[in-house]
Amino acid sequence: MRKLGDIASQSGQLSQVPVQSLMPLPAPYDRIADLPPRKVLNQKVLDRIDTSLDGFSALGLARPQTPEEEHEFVKRFLSGLEKLLSKENNWTFLEQLTLSLDHCARCQTCVEACPIYTASGHDEVYRPTFRSEVFRRLMNEYAKPGGKALAWLKGEHVELNAATLGRLLESAYRCTLCRRCAQACPMGVDNALLTREIRKLFSMEMGIAPKEIHDKGSMLQLRTGSSTGMNARAVRDNVAFLDEEIRDQTGLTIETPWDKEGADVLLIHNAGEILAWLENPMAFAIILEAAGISWTMSSDLAGYDSVNYGLWYDDAQFARVAVKQAEAARKLKVKKIVLGECGHGHKASMVTADRILTGDLNIPRESALVLLRDIVMSGRLKLDPSRNDFPVTLHDPCNMVRMMGIVEPQREILRAICPQFREMTPHGVNNYCCGGGSGFAIMSGYNFEDWRFSVAGRMKLKQILDAFADCPSPEVKKYVCAPCSNCKGQFRDLFQYYGVWEKSGILYGGLAELIVNAMTDLSQPFIKWEFH
Amino acid sequence: MDSSQGILQVFTWNNHEVEVDEDGFIQQPDLWDEQLALALARTDGVIELTDAHWKIIHYIRSYFQEFEIAPMIRKLCKETGFSLREIYNLFPSGPAKGACKVAGLPKPTGCV
Repeated sequence: MRKLGDIASQSGQLSQVPVQSLMPLPAPYDRIADLPPRKVLNQKVLDRIDTSLDGFSALGLARPQTPEEEHEFVKRFLSGLEKLLSKENNWTFLEQLTLSLDHCARCQTCVEACPIYTASGHDEVYRPTFRSEVFRRLMNEYAKPGGKALAWLKGEHVELNAATLGRLLESAYRCTLCRRCAQACPMGVDNALLTREIRKLFSMEMGIAPKEIHDKGSMLQLRTGSSTGMNARAVRDNVAFLDEEIRDQTGLTIETPWDKEGADVLLIHNAGEILAWLENPMAFAIILEAAGISWTMSSDLAGYDSVNYGLWYDDAQFARVAVKQAEAARKLKVKKIVLGECGHGHKASMVTADRILTGDLNIPRESALVLLRDIVMSGRLKLDPSRNDFPVTLHDPCNMVRMMGIVEPQREILRAICPQFREMTPHGVNNYCCGGGSGFAIMSGYNFEDWRFSVAGRMKLKQILDAFADCPSPEVKKYVCAPCSNCKGQFRDLFQYYGVWEKSGILYGGLAELIVNAMTDLSQPFIKWEFH
Repeated sequence: MDSSQGILQVFTWNNHEVEVDEDGFIQQPDLWDEQLALALARTDGVIELTDAHWKIIHYIRSYFQEFEIAPMIRKLCKETGFSLREIYNLFPSGPAKGACKVAGLPKPTGCV
């Protein structure tokens, strides 16, 4: 890519993203020959879908086949563009959108803050201001009065055709919405917000969204109760199995309370934990029971799944899910909702939903990290830090930490119970995203995974390896504490791709598991050093 | 132009055709039978299905018929008596991408 207008080019791919140009990784991950080869899409697929941004495809967008189809495609986009600027259609984000459209000083301070741009070896196609500037110019030229003349006058004309839109859409799925750039911007411009507005336009006006987060995500959640497809009977069956596992592993008898009216706490996990990382909900049950907390889970629709994928791409889907979750809490008359270890669920429920949940739906919502800190610091659990005497580092989920400022509670816990705790560099609100943010951790169609592991997760992998540089041997077992399901999903897949467990002995897991691992009531270690 | 569905492919076996997604999961679980299971297994390099394979497949299917979702992996191991390693030996793509696919379930969804 040579200039911004190339986004409209009718042929060719803007970047090849050559492996040799990517930011180098520490040994032994620096040998390109050892990496899995990139997936080659067959010609029949390539003929149908748009890969003209960078050779990858997150959505499998079909190219328009006729001039009429292209015309219709552009027309719908223009209609969406106008709606984004109207208060009636975009009351949720109009103000933030306008501020980010109007106040960019083109200073490029933000670009070095972006882990995707920098880890890609500064590939221009991933420059965070590239996508934003294209969007800004399209908005100015095509959705504002007198925009066309002004665009030509200022030399900011951008051709609007199917190629422009195909690339803009894919480009909106090359940003994890981590908002590190927004934090760096002296003007407060938020490229991630602009990225999400692009996604929103395509979803809400044109019905185009990744199937993993829409059809098999928020739609499935609204139909069955969970994006995993677990209905109420399935979740209760699975949690009964967790109770049984607790008994088998620890000898403790715990019966997870369901639909208990008047409980202090309604605990909502990311339901993926129950299926894929069951140690985490098991650890929560053990801790809450041992601390004598009055708690319950809900078997109402969406009341047992904190995910709200609409946060990443669609305001209407977002609102539908947020209301269902709050209704489950209202029905049980709980004092508060506690969000389990799920980053986007935190932001969705505790921050963004604040604009929707009014009156008796505005039930207090709290982070599990805070509750866990209070429990650990209260001394109610008998904890022996020497049981956690292995190297531990902490991953800061963007939504909890940079977005919400929940920085210290998890660290207070780790400093108290993990003698070999060490920080990553940088950390806290300056952390790097895991590379799976904004839905990427569950997106795996076409060749998207190659991009997710080689570009999006690259900076995080380097950071994790650097944090354990003093003990690189796979014989020394190490733990990345990642209190977020999405981040864990990314770490599992990323570590598998690079062979991190075999080469470096690094395991990942949640925060609650480390607390239970330190509990002296247990005769056996709770953490099993098996990669899964 | 419906792009959000992804591109379905047609999987052909014994002169029958079924739609599969890009990972080879069939789209209509009702079309499943034991012949199709064998054909799906062969796409993963499993040439014959032994009693051990069938025990896993039948458990997954009966759980799916009752709960409309795949059993959790730990439960699958506990109920069938196979360790995760043994399941990988039988289905090289693993319990979700291998065994569940052969059993005719849809691809797992959500944050899993």
